[in-house]
Amino acid sequence: MKKFLVLCAILLLGFSAAGPARAALSVDVTQGNPQPLPIAIPDFLPGTPADAQVGTNIASVVRADLERSGLFKPLDPRGFVEHITNINTVPNFQSWRTITAQGLVTGQVTMQPDGRLRVDFRLWDVYGASQMLGLQYFTQAENWRRVAHMVSDAIYERITGEKGYFDTRIVFVAESGPALKRVKRLAIMDEDGANPIFLTNGSYMVLTPRFNPTAQMIAYMSYIGGKPRVYLFDIETGRQERLGDFPNMTFSPRFSPDGNRVALSLETNGNSDVYIMDLRNRAMQRLTTDPGIDTAPSFSPDGRQIAFESDRGGSQQIYVMNVDGSNQHRISFGGGNNGTPVWSPRGDLLAFTKQHGNNFDIGVMRPDGSGERMITSGYHDEGPTWAPNGRVLMFTREMPGQRGSQIWSVDVTGRNERRVLTPGNASDPAWSPLIQ
Amino acid sequence: MSSNPSQTSARAVPWRRAEPTTAHGPRFGIVGSLVFHALVVAAALFSFRNFHTPQETHMVPVDLVTLADTTNVAAQAPPAPPKPEPEKIDIPTPQLEPPPEPQLAEVAPAPDAKMPEFDVAKEKPKPEPKPEPKPEPEKPKLTRKQQQQQDFAALLNKLTAQPKRPANAKAGPRVIQGIGAGTAMTADLADVLQSQIYRCWSPPVGAPDADDLIVDYDLRLNPDGSVASLALLPGSARAASGNSYTRAAAEAASRAVYQCAPYRLPADRYSLWRDVNPLHFDPRQLMQQ
Repeated sequence: MKKFLVLCAILLLGFSAAGPARAALSVDVTQGNPQPLPIAIPDFLPGTPADAQVGTNIASVVRADLERSGLFKPLDPRGFVEHITNINTVPNFQSWRTITAQGLVTGQVTMQPDGRLRVDFRLWDVYGASQMLGLQYFTQAENWRRVAHMVSDAIYERITGEKGYFDTRIVFVAESGPALKRVKRLAIMDEDGANPIFLTNGSYMVLTPRFNPTAQMIAYMSYIGGKPRVYLFDIETGRQERLGDFPNMTFSPRFSPDGNRVALSLETNGNSDVYIMDLRNRAMQRLTTDPGIDTAPSFSPDGRQIAFESDRGGSQQIYVMNVDGSNQHRISFGGGNNGTPVWSPRGDLLAFTKQHGNNFDIGVMRPDGSGERMITSGYHDEGPTWAPNGRVLMFTREMPGQRGSQIWSVDVTGRNERRVLTPGNASDPAWSPLIQ
Repeated sequence: MSSNPSQTSARAVPWRRAEPTTAHGPRFGIVGSLVFHALVVAAALFSFRNFHTPQETHMVPVDLVTLADTTNVAAQAPPAPPKPEPEKIDIPTPQLEPPPEPQLAEVAPAPDAKMPEFDVAKEKPKPEPKPEPKPEPEKPKLTRKQQQQQDFAALLNKLTAQPKRPANAKAGPRVIQGIGAGTAMTADLADVLQSQIYRCWSPPVGAPDADDLIVDYDLRLNPDGSVASLALLPGSARAASGNSYTRAAAEAASRAVYQCAPYRLPADRYSLWRDVNPLHFDPRQLMQQ
């Protein structure tokens, strides 16, 4: 009996002791202040005095990459308090806190005896006083710019949790000459506008270039010989070939995610429909049959569905179908005319061009048509293309009173709209996957 | 709970050996049972008294109503860029090991594309990254920010001043129970703390699934408002899943906590804000904006 009462007393004490133990303050933070992350990126240290310039160049490209993303604020190196002299020692974090840096990148470049460039870098969490990342690359010396982009991608991924997109290229249509005699050439450049190269000579018009999944092949429409047809262009060899032999116009090509097929439009007697060509045997499969204009096909990243535009219902709208042509259904009901759907590599959204009145804007919606929102509001924005991480878009912009078009980029949130530098006017950008 | 083992011994549980009924048996059973039940009920009332706490009962005493209102408004206003005061931060620096050797990653050289260069354009000189203005951590830039800071200073003065009942204060129509620690008042503290943290919080809002970004921390504070320790709670969202978005979200929250420290909270109520648990970060509302 006594034991029992003692047990009860212990139980009671236990319960009552539990009360004060729960007395912690509970705080919910639901509002935030999205700001670019202040990050310090000193020039990379030279392994030998001869490496100083490339160390400066790499840090400069990394700073520019991260700043362009809108998610980082590289700090001015002139304000740095600590002078990094050795990347293998722990930095003095307090000195970086005093200049408000939250991230710190230290790096070193060293030319190897075999002529290769070795690039080491570390990403430090200034407030957490710990290393977040440490990587080393070897490359040919002339590839320093690519390595810089890879460093940027690694930092971007470590901080944001999503893949970067700096080590990518853009294929686009470079435009020059007067409006009535406009020369349109196929051109390619790095994502930051560096290394622009013309791929065609301008003797024939080119439109709608699209990368294949390995970024080695481009499908585009060309007016070679005055006949508008879809061509394939091999970037490595410069070789191009016409895709199929059809009496009528083929246009609006786009690769499947596995790269084995191309969806395109074929026009017959004024009616265009969506087809898929298998590149392995060149067999064509017709997917749409209605008398309206069906075009601008774009595969879902799993390759099972295709979004396209059609005026079958009386106005240009976006439709989705299975890859065998079944279950064709309209998804755009947000008003205006809607076209050029492009499936996000992440699969969660479709980007498109909306025409309302005289304006053309870029918007996104979910693949079922819900959640439509406009992310640009220009005079004439059209033809979106996704960064491989599904986070950023580029598009063609024309502005009133300005001759020629430009390429612009914008975050999928609608923030960080900025012009992409191109040599001269440019249109129809297509973003490559991450370079393998 | 069966009251008397002798009643059930042979019939209901035939495989159990029947216990003889002793002279003490029944008395002990009834008394023991009564005592035990009484204790359990008492313990339950004592421990789970907050079950009866109405949902809307944030204890907001009359002289603190203004404070709660003000902080709520500030939290919903467009946030101004935070200006950390790094020279005041006193974060215990962990003992650091020498940095690990960098991982090796051999990079294949870029494909040396042979391209027909009909007219190779000169690369435009890239604009040098614009030099950022030298950070001036202590100098607020925005009038709005100054206003907010002044508001805060006023609030904090009010908080740290000896609580004094305003002349026009009167008792509310009903008794409102406190939440949080015992009989103390904590709703205003939660307001003050969250309104100081959110300014530094920049979650990775580009994630496809907002649920990946919800994280909980256990924050221990020093009496001067600096961070004594910060630990991610194990049950926090999908923190354990290795999701890169969740890791980024957890780190963004951690940076916010350190960056905005030290926190200005009433020193005389330190026992109420010494342990903040859970410090809950949820950006879903932010991502819908």
